[in-house]
Amino acid sequence: MNENTGILICTGCQIGDYLDIDAITTKYSGRDKVFVKHDAQLCSCNSGKMIHDFIETYNIDSLIVAACSPRYFAKEFDFGIKTERVSLRELVCYPHQKKHEDTMTLAEDYINMSLAKLAYIKNPEGFVPENISETICVAGGGISGIQAAIEGAHAGYQILLVEKEKELGGWLKNLHKLSPMKPPFTKLTDNILPQKLQELSQFANIECLTESEIIKTSGQPGCFTLKIKQNEQIIEKKAGSIILASGFKPYEAQNLTELGYGIFQNVISSIELESMVKEGKILKPSDGQQPESILFIQCAGSRKQNHLPYCSNFCCNNTLKQSRYIRESLAETSVFIIYNDIRASGRMESFYKEIQNDDLVFLTKGEINKIEEIDKKLNISVKDTLFGEDIVIEADMVVLATGMQPNNDHVLHLNYRLGEELPVLKYNFTDSHFICFPYETRRTGIFSTGTVRAPMDITESMADAGGAMMKAIQCIELVKRGETLHPRLGDKSSPEINFLRCTDCKRCTEECPFGMYDENEKGTPIINHTRCRRCAICMGACPERVISFENFNIQSVSEMIKSVSMPDEFEEKPRILAFVCENDAYPAFDMAASKKLKYSAFVRIIPVRCLGSVNKIWISDALSKGFDGILLFGCKPGENYQCHFIHGSELTEKRAENIGEVLQKMMLEPERIKTVFLEINEYDKIPQIIDHYLEEINLLGMNPFKGM
Amino acid sequence: MKKVNPDIDFIRKVKKESGSDLKNCMQCGNCTVVCSLAGENHVFPRKQMIMAGWGMKNELISDPYIWQCHQCGDCSKYCPRDVKPLDVMSSLRSQCIEYFAVPGILVKWMKKPSLTFLTLIIPALIILVVLWANKSFDKMQLPVNYSAFLPHILLNSIFTGFTLISFFLLFLSVKNYTKHFKKEFRVQKNEISSYKLFIETLIDFLKHKNFSNCTTNQYRKTAHLMIFYGFTTLILLTIYAIYAVKIGDYPLNYYHPIKIIGNLGGLSILCGIVILLVKRLNKKDINSSFFDYSFLVSVFLLVITGYVTEILRFSNHISGYHWYFIHLVLMWYVVIFLPYTKFAHFIYRLNAIFLIRKYKIND
Repeated sequence: MNENTGILICTGCQIGDYLDIDAITTKYSGRDKVFVKHDAQLCSCNSGKMIHDFIETYNIDSLIVAACSPRYFAKEFDFGIKTERVSLRELVCYPHQKKHEDTMTLAEDYINMSLAKLAYIKNPEGFVPENISETICVAGGGISGIQAAIEGAHAGYQILLVEKEKELGGWLKNLHKLSPMKPPFTKLTDNILPQKLQELSQFANIECLTESEIIKTSGQPGCFTLKIKQNEQIIEKKAGSIILASGFKPYEAQNLTELGYGIFQNVISSIELESMVKEGKILKPSDGQQPESILFIQCAGSRKQNHLPYCSNFCCNNTLKQSRYIRESLAETSVFIIYNDIRASGRMESFYKEIQNDDLVFLTKGEINKIEEIDKKLNISVKDTLFGEDIVIEADMVVLATGMQPNNDHVLHLNYRLGEELPVLKYNFTDSHFICFPYETRRTGIFSTGTVRAPMDITESMADAGGAMMKAIQCIELVKRGETLHPRLGDKSSPEINFLRCTDCKRCTEECPFGMYDENEKGTPIINHTRCRRCAICMGACPERVISFENFNIQSVSEMIKSVSMPDEFEEKPRILAFVCENDAYPAFDMAASKKLKYSAFVRIIPVRCLGSVNKIWISDALSKGFDGILLFGCKPGENYQCHFIHGSELTEKRAENIGEVLQKMMLEPERIKTVFLEINEYDKIPQIIDHYLEEINLLGMNPFKGM
Repeated sequence: MKKVNPDIDFIRKVKKESGSDLKNCMQCGNCTVVCSLAGENHVFPRKQMIMAGWGMKNELISDPYIWQCHQCGDCSKYCPRDVKPLDVMSSLRSQCIEYFAVPGILVKWMKKPSLTFLTLIIPALIILVVLWANKSFDKMQLPVNYSAFLPHILLNSIFTGFTLISFFLLFLSVKNYTKHFKKEFRVQKNEISSYKLFIETLIDFLKHKNFSNCTTNQYRKTAHLMIFYGFTTLILLTIYAIYAVKIGDYPLNYYHPIKIIGNLGGLSILCGIVILLVKRLNKKDINSSFFDYSFLVSVFLLVITGYVTEILRFSNHISGYHWYFIHLVLMWYVVIFLPYTKFAHFIYRLNAIFLIRKYKIND
């Protein structure tokens, strides 16, 4: 139990107007070993010293700061002792009535909940593994890999660059010239590969392994072990973090028979054209003659449901570049470009204009209707053109601007319980949360960059490589401090399993979105601490409730639930418990408060790391306690995945069945539990959601377990 | 299904003549949004822009829409890519005149500053031969008597004759145009009689009704009206003069009402031309080709030399004969060479607008 507990109440930001501070002070000062103090502005510079004195004077070892949301002033209220924040401003005052009896009860409940919680948590110390390697392994020696290695070496880290081919360079080796890279962005750039290799060779801290393949990756961030096969030899290397830069594979033109590929000899892919130019001559494959006109088809196999559904982002610039090749080497050859939209973004606009202005380059929006060969000439009929009618163009050659697919199979060979491949999300890319954390994959410490992460061109890949390398470096530095990565950056807590009661049911190992758990032969989970992102989904999943974190565990939340004062059923004051995801929904509540949106004071909010961390025992605890309903606020799952822990909200839906069983056992209506998916910008919907839910609960009547 | 076969020379010509990087057009359609001529089924001038960029010569030279345009300049003003649709349209019109003119070579001479002297030498030589045959050089005596210098009967018959030939050639050109137009546009005939439609078109033409749609450059309508009616007046007076010579009531005195009306007509043209010239010289957003300037300047000089000739006659100065000669050469250049200068625009415009109505292609 706690020795001495301090409660600091801030009366600033109108908190003093909303609440009877004296009543609260009086109520809690009376308690044994509880010391209360209030201040007009806890976050001010002077208050810092005051709080230090307060802690020293009363020898306080756990502290409650009842002020604003914990999302503000995290550093200011960190005094090295365990601290709980009560969000008086955002959860108690602003959304409710001034000096109302219900508002006061709410404030007291929140303080009680924090007091209860404090008794069951401790400050985490952070797990730091032994023998941390500060080497960063870059898998793939294309432009992204090379650039990442250069950036990492610049920052002073040891880099291990692994390339499966004989020479570095990847796709860059096959390119004749590159799209413009410097002002005025109208002239083609010479291939930058020799220059990049030269730059690379200047660093002593880059070790290049060519003709090498990673055959096994095991371990965890800070101490990965890589088994690398080089020339039939197997070598073992250590790495602190890994960057996956395995690039792309082109979309197979064989799939594009509707555009004549494989049917007409003179229909080729843009990659074939590039190698023709690289060899020095653009000739018709059918008879080896110079073509008089060449037609490019953009989005060939891209942005179509039966092919690649996405835009590959580079084909437009590539076609513009290749039309420049043609116009430079064949003075009389016309170039036709049929596009959906020309996506020459940013500075490439200048290049687009340059190419457009060529008298023999003809661009139109349009859709290919049919391609046929008449008198050794390809007749391409195009519909939906800018001419307002269908047109037929005669061309000697057709070039299909095909897109790119991520090349992420069989690269790292992960020795993980959840499989050897990196998990993929939308369109088979390896990202984990494309909005907030583009480089992170779903295997902690492994970052992806370049075209394996998202379709991009060379300039973008180089910028991207720098970003991924910074993440890889950050990963090593955080591991050294025992802290986790995004999204709970800096969290030192780590999971613990009470193996005595573990039944080896494997639910934790299967549901962890980051593949943190491995298993021994018997199927008992093995914790890889530094792989953990602290979402506590395993804790929510565990039917035996044996998984806990120092500052967030089954008991601490259960005690919070139990500490809420419950009015009896005749008072007509229902109580709703809301588990709110800290990533999106909780900030939405803060935003609602800042807009002074009002909602019922019968709701008690418990922030959780992820909706997936909600264990069903909390539900039955809450219902037994007498809560009339339970709301679960999570991030939006689905297509444009918002969940910061990949599938926390989806898991909640899946687990609803289990929860249904709980309700059935207790003979309660299933409507008492409701899951709400809330985006961060949907704060304005909160009052409506809560009011509507309260109406439903009123219809159901009070929870019969009240007061039992 | 239209087969596309770009005419590269045509692209280059239009580009050069209009001074526009027309290939840079990105087909955003801002021009069409601001253009009062655009309609649901004719996205003018966006479509003309991409057709020009693709060298679709056949479609463009017979395109009647380009003749509806009176150069208000909104399209160029709102173009985000600065491809000047206004200038492209005007160069398309000049291409149209060049393509259909019989013989076309004359237009090529007119367009080239270096060859334009040919078009002046031809009338100069013809008139000189006539003068030589008439032994006119011996008759350059005071008092100034132009009819002795070049008898009216000779002047009228030669000029009228050549004018008739030239107008016949113009008629052939326009007929050629109409034929081409019918081939390119799958046309559908209006039920209303052609005669009625032509009268309607002519009335609108005389009122400059289409010009009124250009709200941006209102001065152009005023200036154009002054020139148009100045010219009409002078042509009517010339016809009267031919008649007057016959009845012997010629030359007229300066206080004769017909003479006063004629002088006012000339003044009207002069004012209009000065306005247009000054505006063209000052304006940076409208491109002026040699074709534009040669027409304006020749009309300007024609009126000026006319006045000088007249003043020298009344002041009885011997140099009047020389000026009279220059005036006659310019008269030839402006009136007889009408099908080959920008002057031809009025007849093409009249015809195109009539065709649009007749074949209902505006609907």
